[in-house]
Amino acid sequence: MFKVTPEPLSLDAAWAAVRRPDCGAVAFFVGTVRDRHEGRRVERLSYTAFAEMAEKEFGRIAREARRRWTVGEVYVAHRTGLLEVGEASVLVAVSAPHRAEAFEACRFVIEELKKTAPIWKEEFYAGGGKAWVSSEGPEAP
Amino acid sequence: MNVEVRLFGPLAEQAGRDRLEVSVSGTTVGDVAAAVARALPGLRLDRAVRYAVNTDYAEVSTPVRDGDVVSLIPPVGGG
Repeated sequence: MFKVTPEPLSLDAAWAAVRRPDCGAVAFFVGTVRDRHEGRRVERLSYTAFAEMAEKEFGRIAREARRRWTVGEVYVAHRTGLLEVGEASVLVAVSAPHRAEAFEACRFVIEELKKTAPIWKEEFYAGGGKAWVSSEGPEAP
Repeated sequence: MNVEVRLFGPLAEQAGRDRLEVSVSGTTVGDVAAAVARALPGLRLDRAVRYAVNTDYAEVSTPVRDGDVVSLIPPVGGG
């Protein structure tokens, strides 16, 4: 249910993991590599992670989501390694009896993950240059 | 006590390595961080850096025991 992986992410795997007979809604969030950041053209990204801790953190965030909303299953996968523009970097899926909980819990999980999961993003720009980019903004070079 | 320290992201890049061992006379995360700062004086260990003991976030006052691994967590950027 919670994984950090160098393999491409699979919507089918997420769907299989969260679908349940008692849940009438599944919300998905997919984060993808955008081709620009603050005016600079991004060619690719590299994600590195403290995988064991990140997976544990996903579990903690999912437990917190369960405390706040009635949800069925929570699935979180984050990619590592070099990603090209358009590829999926993160996939969150949440099943719930009703859509409001599914949407809200899914939103919560991705927002929390961005703040606390020990994962780092390095952007590589067209024409050369790179920068570490955190959720709070770019690092000084 | 000798403590294994792991560095990630920009900190690993700055240090040119992703792990080191430091000798610590104190017993907290803060003592380990101070030992890392002595061992790698060029490393930017500002207030944005967080810490983990094994696989849990920790405070500078968190105790470190023999065999624990302390990680330095620079600002994260997953998503």
